[in-house]
Amino acid sequence: MTLKKLQPLGRFILQIPLWLYLIVSIYPLIWMISYSLKNNDEIFVTNPFGLPTHFRFENYVNAWTQFNIPRYFLNSFVVSLISTVFILILALMFAFAVARMRWRFRSAARTYMIVGMFMPLQVIMIPLAILVRDFHLTNTYGALIIPYIALGLPFSTMVFYGFLMGIPREIEEAACMDGASIYRLFLRIILPLALPAIATVTIFQFLNNWNEFTLAYILISDENMKTLPLGLLFFQGSYSTDWGAMGAVMTIASLPMVLVYLLLSEQVERAMTVGSAVKG
Amino acid sequence: MNKYLGNKAALALFLLPALILYSVILIYPVLQGVFRSFYEWDGLSTATFIGLDNYKELFGDPLLLTSLKNGALFALVLVVFQIGLGTVLALVCANPRTRGRRLLKTAYFIPVVLSVTVVCQLWIAIYDPTNGLINRLFEMLGLSYRQNWLSSPTESIIAIAFVNAWQFMGYQFALLYAGVKAVPEDYFEAATIDGCGKWRAHWHVTLPLMRETYKFCFTIAITSGIGAFVQMLIMTNGGPGTTNYTMTFMIYRYAFMESNYGYACAVSVLLVLISLAATMIINRVFDREQTA
Repeated sequence: MTLKKLQPLGRFILQIPLWLYLIVSIYPLIWMISYSLKNNDEIFVTNPFGLPTHFRFENYVNAWTQFNIPRYFLNSFVVSLISTVFILILALMFAFAVARMRWRFRSAARTYMIVGMFMPLQVIMIPLAILVRDFHLTNTYGALIIPYIALGLPFSTMVFYGFLMGIPREIEEAACMDGASIYRLFLRIILPLALPAIATVTIFQFLNNWNEFTLAYILISDENMKTLPLGLLFFQGSYSTDWGAMGAVMTIASLPMVLVYLLLSEQVERAMTVGSAVKG
Repeated sequence: MNKYLGNKAALALFLLPALILYSVILIYPVLQGVFRSFYEWDGLSTATFIGLDNYKELFGDPLLLTSLKNGALFALVLVVFQIGLGTVLALVCANPRTRGRRLLKTAYFIPVVLSVTVVCQLWIAIYDPTNGLINRLFEMLGLSYRQNWLSSPTESIIAIAFVNAWQFMGYQFALLYAGVKAVPEDYFEAATIDGCGKWRAHWHVTLPLMRETYKFCFTIAITSGIGAFVQMLIMTNGGPGTTNYTMTFMIYRYAFMESNYGYACAVSVLLVLISLAATMIINRVFDREQTA
């Protein structure tokens, strides 16, 4: 065989690691979905690896009705939605004032906001828990929504700031000339222009808040206030007895975010990794 | 114009909501945490000032040594797996002849959007000594290498770190892939034309040009290793015994289980200092390579 004929083979061999890692990355999830459709006998004895031969959808019915899943979904949705909306409003207003308006302490205000980006959650965890207790917010939506908004601000502000700095200055001059008030300028001109940045921040913050675990674990103990990541944790005890239902619960809980990702994969990847541009 | 863009009432309206919330919920707790680390305090009654006693006690605490060791091990697994393997995968994937790039990227990224609870519980099942995927796989291959993955002190920390590495591989891969793509292809081609082998060309040309990407990737991997918590909490609850403890686990235990808030604050201050030091060292190392 000549060297030329060997080249495609070499290329194929070189690409093997990529496809091997694809299996490592995806197979655990396929395994989870397939055991969510089996009964214990099939999972443990007859068919541990393969696809289910008989789809046992009753696992899903059990998961949805026996556990508190609908409630966890509702809580996660309410908390993530409200905190994301407020992050967008507050961060965009702040970024607008710092990036476009003229006043003395704008660069100091910006630096002050950046500091928060480098504060690990661990250092504020304890005083925050006490603050939440003293404000009598424990076991309310506010216990999560208010910290999530505050924690989301530094990063979101910086994304908006970077975006708003790139808009030409002539826009304000034109708006001023036409007699538009500054509020009108913000709502009618800046807000529509910032839509791409708003999409990025929305995806990033909604996903983060939806999956947030540590604060929720510390601040919420009431069963009815638990968000999904927290609620799922307490199925641990029932694990060994009914893997099928457990798999169904985890599959249901993962589905919304995986679907969002599959629909908007490029945008989600960009939103999640935009931090490298902001922090770097 | 200056008057128009310096409208005081508008400034107050735009700035204050964010500033107040940020100061009360983020900055105030940071200061409070530092301040309380010099006190003996149970979170309820009046605190007593004890100077550096919490820190003195902390440096004699055997849990600190365990936590530092586990944090370092956790960070090492993340660096080797995510950045080491991630770099190789990103370089191969960025090769213009590679097919199915979108599919690969998507498959790598899916675990990133999952909840950490789901991922940990899935891996508890995978590591399960009798029915788990891994031991069943060994059994099927006829190997007697069965392990109780999560109950031996050293193996379990690596097994747990691997779960984190697996989940966020797609994230680091996306960063590294973007980094490789940002290097102009002419540079790499020039090096291969000059007789440099492909891997040598990547090593001498592509990777040094990805300095900024690596700075960020290393910072993320190392600080999340040092600060790791959730995976231990869910998968082994810090055990067997206290062998899987990390610094965040110490904070959690001292503050919320033993109501020793002052001491827990001292641990959190030390954790922040270590994270900042790690970030500075990473920056220094990568900047020095630039000048060399």
